[in-house]
Amino acid sequence: MIQTPPGRAFTLPRKAVLLAAAVFVTLILVPAFCHQGYALRLMGMIFMGIALASCWNIMSGYTGYIDFGPAAYFGIGAYATALLMVRGGVPFFLSIVLGGVVAVAFAVPVGLPTLRLRGAYFAIATFAFAEATRQAVLEWDRVLGVNFFQGSHGITLPIGPTHQFFYYTFLVIMTVLFVITYLVERSRMGYALKAIHEAEDAAELIGVNTLKIKIYAYAISAFFTAVIGGVDAYWLTYITPNDVFSVHITIKMVIMCLLGGMGTLLGPVVGASFLTLISEPLWARFPYDYLIIIGVIIVLVIVAMPKGIVGTLLEWKVDSRGT
Amino acid sequence: MTRMKRVTAILTIVGLLAGFVVVPAARCADKIQFGFSVPLTGIFGKAGKLVLDSYKLWAKKMNAEGGILIKGKRYPVELVYYDDKSDPGVSAKLVEKLITDDKVDLLLGGYGSSLVFAASAIAEKYKYPMISGGASSNKLFDRGFRYYFATLGKATEEVRGCVEMLKGLKPKPKTVAIVGSDILFTSLACEGFKKYSKEAGFKVIHFELFPIQLQDYTSMLLKVKKENPDVLLVGSHTLVAIKTVKALKAIDFSPKAVAFSYGPTVPDFVKSVGKLGEYVFAASEWTPVLPYKGPVFGTAAAFDKLYYKTFHRHPDYVEAAVAAAAVTQQLALQQLGLQPPYTEAKREALMKKLHDIDIKTFYGEVRFGKDGANVAHPPIAVQIQHGKVVTVYPKNVRQTAPIYPMPSWGHRK
Amino acid sequence: MLIQAIITGLLLGGIYAVYSAGFSLIFGVMGVVNIAHGDLVMLGAFTSYWLFTLGHIDPFLSIPFSALTLFIVGYGIQRLIINRVVEAPPIMSYICTFGIHLIIANLALRLWTADYRSITTSYCGSHLECAGLVIPYARLATFGMAVVMVGGLYLFLNRTDIGRAIRATAQDREMARLMGVRANHVYAMTFGIGAAITGVAGSLISSYFVIYPQMGLSYTVTAFCVVVLGGMGYIPGALLGGLILGVLESLTATYWNAGMSSALTFFILFLMLIFMPAGITGKGIVE
Repeated sequence: MIQTPPGRAFTLPRKAVLLAAAVFVTLILVPAFCHQGYALRLMGMIFMGIALASCWNIMSGYTGYIDFGPAAYFGIGAYATALLMVRGGVPFFLSIVLGGVVAVAFAVPVGLPTLRLRGAYFAIATFAFAEATRQAVLEWDRVLGVNFFQGSHGITLPIGPTHQFFYYTFLVIMTVLFVITYLVERSRMGYALKAIHEAEDAAELIGVNTLKIKIYAYAISAFFTAVIGGVDAYWLTYITPNDVFSVHITIKMVIMCLLGGMGTLLGPVVGASFLTLISEPLWARFPYDYLIIIGVIIVLVIVAMPKGIVGTLLEWKVDSRGT
Repeated sequence: MTRMKRVTAILTIVGLLAGFVVVPAARCADKIQFGFSVPLTGIFGKAGKLVLDSYKLWAKKMNAEGGILIKGKRYPVELVYYDDKSDPGVSAKLVEKLITDDKVDLLLGGYGSSLVFAASAIAEKYKYPMISGGASSNKLFDRGFRYYFATLGKATEEVRGCVEMLKGLKPKPKTVAIVGSDILFTSLACEGFKKYSKEAGFKVIHFELFPIQLQDYTSMLLKVKKENPDVLLVGSHTLVAIKTVKALKAIDFSPKAVAFSYGPTVPDFVKSVGKLGEYVFAASEWTPVLPYKGPVFGTAAAFDKLYYKTFHRHPDYVEAAVAAAAVTQQLALQQLGLQPPYTEAKREALMKKLHDIDIKTFYGEVRFGKDGANVAHPPIAVQIQHGKVVTVYPKNVRQTAPIYPMPSWGHRK
Repeated sequence: MLIQAIITGLLLGGIYAVYSAGFSLIFGVMGVVNIAHGDLVMLGAFTSYWLFTLGHIDPFLSIPFSALTLFIVGYGIQRLIINRVVEAPPIMSYICTFGIHLIIANLALRLWTADYRSITTSYCGSHLECAGLVIPYARLATFGMAVVMVGGLYLFLNRTDIGRAIRATAQDREMARLMGVRANHVYAMTFGIGAAITGVAGSLISSYFVIYPQMGLSYTVTAFCVVVLGGMGYIPGALLGGLILGVLESLTATYWNAGMSSALTFFILFLMLIFMPAGITGKGIVE
């Protein structure tokens, strides 16, 4: 096995920090100059993609534990937010945070046994969890004879505020995740996560409580996935179990992260932007061939640059320094 | 990293970026652009294609006449559409793109309840009227929207004709079993079946919804067979209907009648199951034999003929409803004499007009209730006889009497 | 009622087993979770469909054709693509096969449209009826084939040279190479054989299930469940796992409802992985 170091713990030079800050300020100012709903929505969707890919990255990108079930937390967040807002009259921001808390309440007991599994077993177990959750939400009302989740009828949310609102909400969530990833990468936890990827047994031998670290990462990932699910529910105004627990949400997260580069700070940013931006023209021009092309892109990237765009660029940098 | 690998990687990136060129659409003032998002791929892809064809037929018809005649000037029709991949998020994004980026003049409705849900919320926000011919879930009408309309009846109402037809049969069936796939549209159909069965005095002895992913229907239907209902009512779309018929044959279950909420009217159904599809009933809202008549397409039969000439297949009621939606918006524009560009005020006037509209078309009468649903449309029932969809209810328009009870599997040729 | 439910379940289990065996083989030898697995079933079913529609060849007689076609497809996929990622971390092969799934499913959609197709044979729906029990012949035949194929595959792996080479490579690639086994070729053979038996499964189901380009993913998901139940990579486990899952689903659908049978399947899958990752047989590969 070729063991790939999951990202380099490079400390950001001052220039990079300034650049990141400049980008952030620019993004804050964009809506002031651009009133076009579609452009803002597209940007919002890119932010959401980056945020989702970052959630997956924190857990799976760094540890190499392939989580195929984040759609469960996305759905839990969406439903928690919808129910709290519609039934409980809870304000939106409080609802999404509570949605995140509910997700953590699921993630810890689910993570405890599953995170002991390795490889394909972890992947399939998380997938099974997501599918079981979806089916449970579909069946809940009928089996218990109550009127709570409303099964396949779904829940209608009030029409949300302007695009600017969602643009900024996702911008904030994305930025928070970016900062968290940065801090985690440089912390003891970050090193432990990478150690789990490289040699979990060895890490355990030298006294790293790997299960605890994995649970932390899993819970952080679940929390933010649920928060994003909640915002998206409000954005869409209507949710059904088949839509918010969809395996396609998981797939999107995995592919964006992988294209950009797993276990790197910038990977999700690059991967999500790249995929969204390339999808738009491709899909508009070739609606029927679009998915074939995406399939080819995925295979090409995996074969030609398995470390993703960011990972490959980093490797070149190291290469050119070395030679 | 070898040089070779590096070259491949560069080529990959360059190749990927090559497709990344956007050509902005040119604008022209003396035509009307109608925008819509429609599923061309994904689970609704098949049905979405029908919707697209229907709009294309309408556009072609209008353009052959030189365009829509409004206050003495003709405006050619241009369709601007995108594939929403059967994803509600994408559908919402696209409608927003159509409105703010492509700056289309007006919108047309898409297909699929969850997709139209998301799309119509955007239309409402920007105050663009949207008349859908391909979504009928009751919840769409519970939102207090003012800009959303549908030419179809509500999903629970669509199946009324089927049950009323069964009620009039001799000997009258006594017991019914209802099954259906657990997605919004089909589960609502099941509820409609239940509601009208009770009103008709049938005893509902079985009610079950199953996941849309269910691969094999035999266990479920064997259970229903044991209860021996007179009638099996199925909340379905095309795939569910096909799978159900095949499973009924496999387990040798022949109730006296089988009725589907949707599926058998789609040409795919007969093509796929062949003779097994004989005698099944289906709910419908329109067939070419109905005595409807109106501007643009003429009679129902004329619409059918034109459709067949263009696409070499007969239209299903959803295709008719979609074309009727486009026609309704067009007639409202013509009656008001509203010329483009369509400002917010003009769109509001259009919306108000649609609320009071009462027109006759090839699709029948179109009159919208306060919630936007078409209230003027009577549901009908059809049956597959000799491989053809024939109208069997209501009595005054039917082509032939329903065949009941259907012969059991063992007694067919 | 109970006996009928069990029989229906066993027959369904045979169907599950027949299309899951190839999945188990590929995972067992290469550690590749093949997400494009269901698409191979789809290709097999379409092969039979076209032979039936255009050449009036019975689906059971078209089995050799779909086996051959799928062997070539499988061999090609492994040789051209998966061999390049087989030594990378496992996630690469998952995503790679997902890309292949997108390509195959959507190419099929382009070629054959989204139409729902089915094969209606003259004996379609004919069944054995005894003591009030219904046993469709086509499913009974599938059940027989499942037993034959799983048994045959097991013998093939244990008794033939190429089978031994496959097993040797599965156990220790480096060692096998030193012994003169060409690993790339063996992997491609394995994928080819896995794909071929999956193609056969596609032919078998084509006479009673509906065929359309996007049917694949749900077959992949069921194969997951079957193989986990029986023990991943342990070939006879596919048969056992299939039967257990079939009976379980049939019983819940009969005595509870079909929606719960699906929820229960995934719940059991989840519990299995946690408590018995090596499957009911205890012989699955555990990483």
